[in-house]
Amino acid sequence: MPDTAAPLPSAALVIEDLHKRFGTLDVLRGISLTARDGDVISLIGASGSGKSTFLRCINLLETPDQGRIAVNGEEIRMKHRTNGRPPVPADPRQVDRLRTRLGMVFQSFNLWTHMTVLENVIEAPIHVLKVPRRDAVARAEALLDKVGIGDKAKHYPNHLSGGQQQRAAIARALAMQPKVLLFDEPTSALDPELVGEVLRVIRQLAEEGNTMLIVTHEMAFAREVSSEVVFLHQGRIEERGTPAELFDNPRTDRMRQFLSRDY
Amino acid sequence: MTDLATAFSLGAQGWGDELLAGMATTAQLAATAYACGLVLGLAGAAAKLSGAWLLRALADLYTTVVRGVPEILILFLLFYGGASLVRGLLQDLGHTGPVEVSAFLAGAIALGVVSGAYSTELFRGAILAIPRGQLEAGRAVGMGPWLRFRRILFPQMLRYALPGLGNLWLVMLKDTALVSVIGLNDLLRVGYIAMGSTRQPFTFFLAVALMFLVMTIVSMIVLHRLERWAGQGVRRA
Repeated sequence: MPDTAAPLPSAALVIEDLHKRFGTLDVLRGISLTARDGDVISLIGASGSGKSTFLRCINLLETPDQGRIAVNGEEIRMKHRTNGRPPVPADPRQVDRLRTRLGMVFQSFNLWTHMTVLENVIEAPIHVLKVPRRDAVARAEALLDKVGIGDKAKHYPNHLSGGQQQRAAIARALAMQPKVLLFDEPTSALDPELVGEVLRVIRQLAEEGNTMLIVTHEMAFAREVSSEVVFLHQGRIEERGTPAELFDNPRTDRMRQFLSRDY
Repeated sequence: MTDLATAFSLGAQGWGDELLAGMATTAQLAATAYACGLVLGLAGAAAKLSGAWLLRALADLYTTVVRGVPEILILFLLFYGGASLVRGLLQDLGHTGPVEVSAFLAGAIALGVVSGAYSTELFRGAILAIPRGQLEAGRAVGMGPWLRFRRILFPQMLRYALPGLGNLWLVMLKDTALVSVIGLNDLLRVGYIAMGSTRQPFTFFLAVALMFLVMTIVSMIVLHRLERWAGQGVRRA
């Protein structure tokens, strides 16, 4: 995008016309989305619809080919390159800084296996945000209590159940006091009986007014916690609206099909 | 029995102090060469995994050539070739007279270059064994490349590389014996000299063997502890 483009509105998170290709496959074909403070936006859609890729593009774990992203009013500067190569971040440090404002929770937890749960939670606050160790530990302990695994602080991730690991990963994301929380299918890797304990934590975070984007297959959950639901189909937003609008009165055939198959 | 006591006594009569000094030289040489090898190995692995084709090609050339050539040949190249280079250089500067390259230095570099080639492959494999998500989680919290290397990649790589690195150390410890050929008074050469002067091959060679074995066993104990430390969080406590 040219530098002369109008500044993006200063909401918590603004995404404009995002495109992503993998080889010849157009995974995202122009997605725009705005999250204001306190919004809880669920992204739903069949596998392959691009919802996880979209989430990963927001904090540049995947580099979008086109489009603009602004976190808290600050746009990520991209450097456009010649002969058709995809753009790269103009300033990697800006990306690192903005990533600290975006808390990511992965489908497969991705807790660091060589650190205890507590060490996982204090790692980035200490080394990235330069929070004094004592403060980081106190805050981590409070967060672990909050997600219900205060007694597991000294355990290694591999010694915990999947539900406990995911709650630890949520605590790790919260420890950065991010502006927006990004959940990438947070319960998809869990045994069914462990899903509830993780959803309870996410629901509580929603009620506390955190701004969140949630990629999920849990329709009942999406309906209950979301302020907005976005239905993706083949890399485009097929339908969006309040949960009641989408789930009770789907306007498109694809949304109806998706609901009858999945819900 | 008194013969043995005399043979291994520490004074001018016996060979005890010379053998111990040889053992120290061997350990020093192995440690120096090994440290060189680790640095070369890390650099080599980084080059092989980098996006730059020139770096990859250079690292491939390095590991292919070094692993395909006898170690003693590399040692000779460095020792004799190095001496002749230095001599030529000094003559150009007006210096005449004998020039000698330190056998310890030549040995340390040669063995370091060799173990660097093997540890390049070890580190490369260990880095590839780290699940992608581990480093991705680091990027997601805003860690820069250096922080990710120091806090995530390196400790996790060690865990995967340690068994192989331990093996490489044990091989290195014994490969130092090669350097006795260019006159370094390492454990093997001291044993050889003692044998020559006393005509007691069994006594001294068995003593040398025993001393190598002691170093190996001590190493294995240390390595075992290191592996346990680095494996924290993987095996059930």
